[in-house]
Amino acid sequence: MDFVFRVSWKELVQVFRDRKLVFSTLVLPVLLMPVLMFGPTLLLGRLVQQTAEKRQEVAVAGLPEEALRALEAAHLVPVPVQDPEVLVREGKYPAGIAYRDGVYRVYARLSGGVTEGQVVAGKVQNALQSLKERKVAEALAQKGLPLEVLSPFRVEVVDAATEREKASGLLGFLLPFFLVIFILSGGQVVAVDATAGEKEKGTLEALLTAPVPLFHLALGKTLAAVAMALLSGVAGLSGLALGGAWAHRFAPDLLAQGGPPLGGGLALDGGSFLGLSLSAFLLALLMGAAMVALGLYARSFKEAQSYLAPLQLLAILPLLFLQFRGLVEVPSWTSLLPIVNVALLMDALFKGTATPLSMVLTWGSTLAYALLALGLAVWAFGREDVVFRN
Amino acid sequence: MVQAESLTKRYRKAVAVEGLTFGVGPGEVYALLGPNGAGKTTTLRLLSTLVRPSAGRALVAGFDVVREPLEVRRNLGLVNGGMRVYDRLTGREVLEFFAGFYGLKGRAFREALDWVAGFLFLEETLDKRVMEMSTGMRQKIVIARAILHRPPVLLLDEATAGLDVFARRALLDFVKAYRDLGHAVIYSTHVMGEAEEVADRVGFLHRGRLVYEGSKEEALALGEGSLERAFVWTAQNVA
Repeated sequence: MDFVFRVSWKELVQVFRDRKLVFSTLVLPVLLMPVLMFGPTLLLGRLVQQTAEKRQEVAVAGLPEEALRALEAAHLVPVPVQDPEVLVREGKYPAGIAYRDGVYRVYARLSGGVTEGQVVAGKVQNALQSLKERKVAEALAQKGLPLEVLSPFRVEVVDAATEREKASGLLGFLLPFFLVIFILSGGQVVAVDATAGEKEKGTLEALLTAPVPLFHLALGKTLAAVAMALLSGVAGLSGLALGGAWAHRFAPDLLAQGGPPLGGGLALDGGSFLGLSLSAFLLALLMGAAMVALGLYARSFKEAQSYLAPLQLLAILPLLFLQFRGLVEVPSWTSLLPIVNVALLMDALFKGTATPLSMVLTWGSTLAYALLALGLAVWAFGREDVVFRN
Repeated sequence: MVQAESLTKRYRKAVAVEGLTFGVGPGEVYALLGPNGAGKTTTLRLLSTLVRPSAGRALVAGFDVVREPLEVRRNLGLVNGGMRVYDRLTGREVLEFFAGFYGLKGRAFREALDWVAGFLFLEETLDKRVMEMSTGMRQKIVIARAILHRPPVLLLDEATAGLDVFARRALLDFVKAYRDLGHAVIYSTHVMGEAEEVADRVGFLHRGRLVYEGSKEEALALGEGSLERAFVWTAQNVA
């Protein structure tokens, strides 16, 4: 193993002495992940809050006095106009209301994501709903009926998931997703530098004339890629955790307004943590070996990057479908699908629902794929038409 | 030290070298001469186990290049003109990295480093990063890497390419000094003047075939005092 570690050490020292690479691979994720993950949510929450608190003019036509008062009470300024729909369409008002034949029609431009029109329409709806409820209550009171007559029973939907499942929230999907991305991007830095980079810089021939068995050479370079991939993953997840902790501590209300819960109450036991670490290591080993094999086939940095970009897409695309895993039953054989199986297992480990069968299948198959990829890398190092392909 | 017998390398339909038979003994510089594309680089790659022969065989320090590649690599050093070392490491780190593959660690490495640093006048640059060195100093680190384990066979392929006059002079002096230590050197070049200075024997390689082999003096006599004339005459009349 001395040769293997010697090769790994050299690759890592080479990379760590390149400040730009270290910054983009290890520092930038820590800085960017909080912004990427929580920035939009916090910003959206803040904007929605500000818009809701602001007093907006709304175009009205034919509204009775009581409706006008209800709107004013909801921080809205009714402006009588001829045709609210046209004025809203022209962007002169965020929302408009017309009353005719017992129907309140609320106009707003609703397409294109979260808009001021949506928020103001919501305020109008709430104001009119309150007015409606008040009028119903008054009518019932006049007839001597209690308010409860309108709701003889209630319906409640209760989340029966375990506390751990609830705590994982969307992070059960997002963490494996980002981990795969960071493992790919971090591993790529070393894999390309250690293969196509060596070719391009003219250092590979010297290494190949040293008495190093090709398996040691390929394994050394792969392990260096694995180390960088895992470091990159840790950096990215640290950024995510730091951002999450900050957002939950300083702006929990804004986070709640911004969208679906991201989780953040994750609490892993020792076994799950070890399982996650092993899964990440095996995934990094598979991707590292595959990238080393592909990188060696390339003649230059540029060519290597053009080979690895489709590999990244291939790895990431199936993960997007994991969002829908709750809608279908996931069969056991999916534990044999490379990359997807690791993401599924990580999700299950976060939620505490991983089964021994899924763990054995996932780890066993990922190790087998990694060894195959490593074999491919060794084969590539032994091929003169690959090594001297220039 | 080096023995090639009917050594042949074909790439699909193209023949890079064919039927090479030659030998190099200890304490001898064998200049392999020929124009670009003659097959010099392929020959040295065959001897250094970087490519496998299509036919024939070769022994380096008694080891077969196909059956015992690791033993062959332990007993040779290869330097070519395009060869570089890791530019973000210091000279010392580069040498320590490679020394480990030859079992040179701790005291053995320090002794080897002292020897090579003195032999190539490297002392002042060992702790500089390679990227901060001049072209000549970088080439010295490349050579130091190749001879740190004092291989009995040294292969040099267009090793003076891109070097300035001082670095080139130092390299030619080094070749003679290494030969004088009793080692075998194969010096491949298309610059005949360099061969005239360092070679003991010469081989003319033309279109993948060894068209002439003899002592430097014999070759010079053939070319009326010029290896270049001897090569051109041989290529035109023998090949």
